[in-house]
Amino acid sequence: MSRQLRVDWPACRARGLCHEVLPDLVDLDEWGYPLVRGPVTDDLLADAQEAVRVCPRLALRLIDGR
Amino acid sequence: MTTYLDPHHTVRTDDARPASPVPIPTRVTVEPGPALLAGIEHGASLGAHRRQYGELPRLDRDALHDLVGRVRLRGRGGAAFPFATKLEALRRGRRPVLVINMSEGEPASSKDAALALTRPHLVIDGAVAAARALHARELHVVLPGDRPAAATAMRTALAERDDSVPVHSHVATPRFVAGQAKAVVELLAGRPNLPVTSWKPDAIAGHQGRPTLLSNAETWARLGLLVLRGEREYAAVGTRDESGATLLTLSRPGADPLVREAAYGDRLRDHLPAHAYGRPALIGGFHGSWATWETMASARVSVPGLRGLGVALGAGVVLSSPAGQCPLTLTSQVVDYLAGQSAGRCGPCFNGLPALAGALGAVRDGSGGPVRVTQLATLVERRGACAHPDGTVRLVRSLLGTFAAEVSAHGEGRCLEASRLRVVPVTAREFAS
Amino acid sequence: MTDGPILWYLNRGTGVVVLVLLTITTVLGIVALGNRSGRGLPRFVTQALHRNLALLSVVLLAVHVVSAVVDEYVDIRWWQAFVPLGATYEPLWLGLGALALDLIAVVVLTSLLRHRMQHRAWRLLHVSSYGLWLMSLLHGIGMGTDLRGGWWIAAVACAAAVPLAATYRLFLLVTDRPTPEPNPPTTPTNVGVLR
Repeated sequence: MSRQLRVDWPACRARGLCHEVLPDLVDLDEWGYPLVRGPVTDDLLADAQEAVRVCPRLALRLIDGR
Repeated sequence: MTTYLDPHHTVRTDDARPASPVPIPTRVTVEPGPALLAGIEHGASLGAHRRQYGELPRLDRDALHDLVGRVRLRGRGGAAFPFATKLEALRRGRRPVLVINMSEGEPASSKDAALALTRPHLVIDGAVAAARALHARELHVVLPGDRPAAATAMRTALAERDDSVPVHSHVATPRFVAGQAKAVVELLAGRPNLPVTSWKPDAIAGHQGRPTLLSNAETWARLGLLVLRGEREYAAVGTRDESGATLLTLSRPGADPLVREAAYGDRLRDHLPAHAYGRPALIGGFHGSWATWETMASARVSVPGLRGLGVALGAGVVLSSPAGQCPLTLTSQVVDYLAGQSAGRCGPCFNGLPALAGALGAVRDGSGGPVRVTQLATLVERRGACAHPDGTVRLVRSLLGTFAAEVSAHGEGRCLEASRLRVVPVTAREFAS
Repeated sequence: MTDGPILWYLNRGTGVVVLVLLTITTVLGIVALGNRSGRGLPRFVTQALHRNLALLSVVLLAVHVVSAVVDEYVDIRWWQAFVPLGATYEPLWLGLGALALDLIAVVVLTSLLRHRMQHRAWRLLHVSSYGLWLMSLLHGIGMGTDLRGGWWIAAVACAAAVPLAATYRLFLLVTDRPTPEPNPPTTPTNVGVLR
């Protein structure tokens, strides 16, 4: 089952912790905002959950499905 | 043909944000048409409306669903979403909230204002019919913030009525993104009229957590006509696959825009004013796409038909680029405006759109190339709470694709449009000697 | 044995350490975890450090409180550790300490339950960290008059560290490249349960 890491854009303030914790999936654009490169595969799930947890703005959610 | 003057309209000079290259018109000319715009010469009063259409029939949810399904009614807000699907998605078990979206944030569009001025009761009847069928709790009307005559006309129409469903009216903030669905739901809740992240669709949990059905004013008017006149008469206009008609806003240089009703299947060129002939046009408004005259000359008014030609009809705006107007310059001005219209809530948008505007300006000036433009376009797409950046990117991509030669010319410090030989039509008589 | 110098040493020792830890925690929060900061260590490291130092302070604070209450040399009741009024021994300084403890409890609890509350509410409560730090400092200065030696150096260093950090952060904010400030929604969109 694929999951998506979704960004709550109005909440995001480009703190960058998601990229620090999950560099395989999350890059940062030139302004520091996250670029999610693909779905959350099983091997990335634990780190993705960590990214959701550490975001200081609670701006990430793990969504089931497409 | 009726022209409406808006005496209360004042030109807004909004702080430091770039003005729209197409200002909100102070007047709009509305022509009679085959469907919604039939009989507009009788006036907009409730009395005239009832004399023309009779009382509003009652129908239940299933009948409503069947009706809109059979004629395949699509939304007229720009996305052309099938109304039947919207109805189906509406969560059952709680009384829904219905919203008439008349905010018309697109400066180049005047069709909703035209409906407010000529056929308000068709709009309201459509929403009331649905409200009755769905046992809606309440009906909300979102009026435009920068078209006072249209707002007043709607209020007048609402005051004439005595429907069983409670109606609340709101005024949208005069911004481009004010008409976005989530922004409207925010407005209804008394919060700033700006988009927020949507974790649940409005059909499930919208206004106050209730199932919310939000549609464009013209969509409600089409539904109203359908319910009042019945399926057969409704489907007599248009084609077998696409029944009905759609409102177009046609720009006219140095004059107020024209709102006409085009039946699906009509040749697009038959509805265009003379000055549009031979010229490219921006179709769908500021979030639309450019079409060359060659494309338009053979096109039919049709949602899938135009989509097949790479053009989305959107909210029915046809913004002609008159002779001497460089499409690259116009697009650059539009993108400057759109960048200033960002709600300022999402980082990629409020950083990326101004950067995109800057990059496009550099292309226009010849100081930069399209590479940076396409790079930024990819960066802002689908990274925000609403589709404002996506629509802007659609416009920019269509510019680069349709006018690649003009873009190259600007890169060399020239402008193809400016250096075109203008062909001035002359009548045969002038040659007789 | 609930008397004698061992409890006094325990209380004073943990008191100084808690103040130092709270100061470092607050400085980290100001300098490393705000908007325009985070040079050097990755932010999730400083975030974890901030969190762990705070939790460590809570543990040592518990020892600090217990040693004070159990010590029969001074009359401090259990409830006076939480209620800022009504103490007989040094009511002002003790009261400040009690208030600081209450605020620490609020800040730590809300931070542990961060994902179950609205972000704006959490943020507002977290700002009380400044207040609780100041109260801890004053409590320490007022109660620690029987300390000699290096204590004053530590007290002055702590007292200076937070204002200096705040000034540095302000400096960063003011001199950083002016990007447009985001226009936040007035109602939080990120109320959510941790997935």
